[in-house]
Amino acid sequence: MCKSSPMPAAMSTLLELQMQLRHAVLGGGDTAEIVVAIRGDGLDPAARVGIYRNHAFATLGASLQGTFPVVCRLVDKRFFAYAAHEYLRKHPPHSRCLVEYGADFADFLANFEPCKALPYLADVARFEWALNIAASVREAAPLPLQVLAKVPASKAAYLTLHLQPSLSYVVSPWPIDAIWQANQENEVPSVDLASGGAGLEIRRTRDAIAWLRLDPATFAFRRALADGLVLAAAMRSATVQDPAFDFAAALQHIVGEGLAVAYGLSWEKKTLKPRLVDLARKEAR
Amino acid sequence: MVTAQRPAPNCSAGIGLRLPHVAKVVATRPKLGFIEVHAENYMANTVALDQLLNLRRDYSVSVHGVALSLGSAEQLDRIHLDRFKALIECVQPMLVSEHLAWSAIGGVYLNDLLPLPYTEESLDLFCGHVEEVQEALGRPLLIENPASYLRYSQSSIPEAEFLTEVVRRAGCGILCDVNNIYISARNLRFDPIAYLDALPIEAIGEIHLAGHHTAEGVDILIDDHGSRVVKPVWDLHAAALQRFGPVPALIEWDANLPALEILLDEARHVQELADACCHVDPA
Repeated sequence: MCKSSPMPAAMSTLLELQMQLRHAVLGGGDTAEIVVAIRGDGLDPAARVGIYRNHAFATLGASLQGTFPVVCRLVDKRFFAYAAHEYLRKHPPHSRCLVEYGADFADFLANFEPCKALPYLADVARFEWALNIAASVREAAPLPLQVLAKVPASKAAYLTLHLQPSLSYVVSPWPIDAIWQANQENEVPSVDLASGGAGLEIRRTRDAIAWLRLDPATFAFRRALADGLVLAAAMRSATVQDPAFDFAAALQHIVGEGLAVAYGLSWEKKTLKPRLVDLARKEAR
Repeated sequence: MVTAQRPAPNCSAGIGLRLPHVAKVVATRPKLGFIEVHAENYMANTVALDQLLNLRRDYSVSVHGVALSLGSAEQLDRIHLDRFKALIECVQPMLVSEHLAWSAIGGVYLNDLLPLPYTEESLDLFCGHVEEVQEALGRPLLIENPASYLRYSQSSIPEAEFLTEVVRRAGCGILCDVNNIYISARNLRFDPIAYLDALPIEAIGEIHLAGHHTAEGVDILIDDHGSRVVKPVWDLHAAALQRFGPVPALIEWDANLPALEILLDEARHVQELADACCHVDPA
């Protein structure tokens, strides 16, 4: 048993060997260190390492392509393979469940110079990542309205809601849902890129994946709640967009649509969490 | 120590169930001895897990881990092991298996079953990790022999001997992948029958079968699980059945995934061979 015992000193050789092979497989492809430890047996050791390297890149690339099929279609397969290759080198998987790989692919694409000609590409990737979450996370039991009705009015400002775990909010200045939908067809119909952006709510409802376009105030309200803000702060986010925002009706819709699964009461006003925390939360699922 | 007990003789033939086929199997419930799933496809996908639990009512299930990385020269990833354990407790499978390999180091997952040098040091490390997982799960593992494309200069123990020693020390069983033996024997120039003969009969808990292809430009076989089982592998499987007797046997298919019917057809052939084996030698 070596449950919690420190690593024996002799194992450093094996550790070094594995780090060398990792570098040759997913790093820069430099096999100079690892080939010394491999028998040729009639074939260049570097070619033997190359078999593992090809497999890792092919299967991880296929996994990304499965998660981001429309991004792949928009840039074509060859370019996608190149982008995936660069992403894999810079952002190798940490989770061993591939459904969780690709959370920051959209951010990578946003900063990937060869993609600059397609300014909507990263947001399409964000939309596909949200679809991936909705495809793989089961719907939780919704919070009944009667339970929420028991919260005293004096404490309502400090209410927080836990929303459906499959839920994502994605906003873009581009019509990313229309772009995605058009690319489900064999013959892609034209999409008016000047038609404006969208604030989208993406979730699982029973056996289906669904998304809705939300008006800016509703989007701000729901995303603030999803980010863990108290009701008072979420209201402020909404009224910035629409001073006449009807938060009581909005709250009823959230519960009525089965979006809320639990609630909490916080006596401290929360500040907006960075989106990175949100991403990390989703990746950890 | 958790010790493997060989399951009762079982002639059943199964298929590796991949996510694109799940809905059809749920809808049509084809006749199968068992289904096997990759643990990592269900640990973080609760929608797929619900479908698997639905199938669990009608099928025996085997859970095949691909990412515990038992051969890593570092501590096991406890978070991954906890998720693995939660899945096993939820599914209550008939078999749980993993690989004689490593796939993660230093926090990076390589999504491949990478080879270990076979030395006394790696043997100690690997046995410790198998024992740790078995303790956590409260049940024995089957350990699968890998398909190999290279051999380390420092390896001093033949693979079959290494695997046999893991069984002796850690009390696990063996998942004998016949296709992998065929591939490794061709790639590393050893006798596949001698390899089979070196494995302890009583430890064999399952057999895997799959397709492979020849690499472009070099005399190397690649284990891609992307085609039907070829005749030399069926022949080696017949030799394995003769030596090990009836054990559950599985058709795996991952690349170029065909229609479900093709897998079922392959599984039918596995079942015919198993039935013949059971008939000739029921012991």
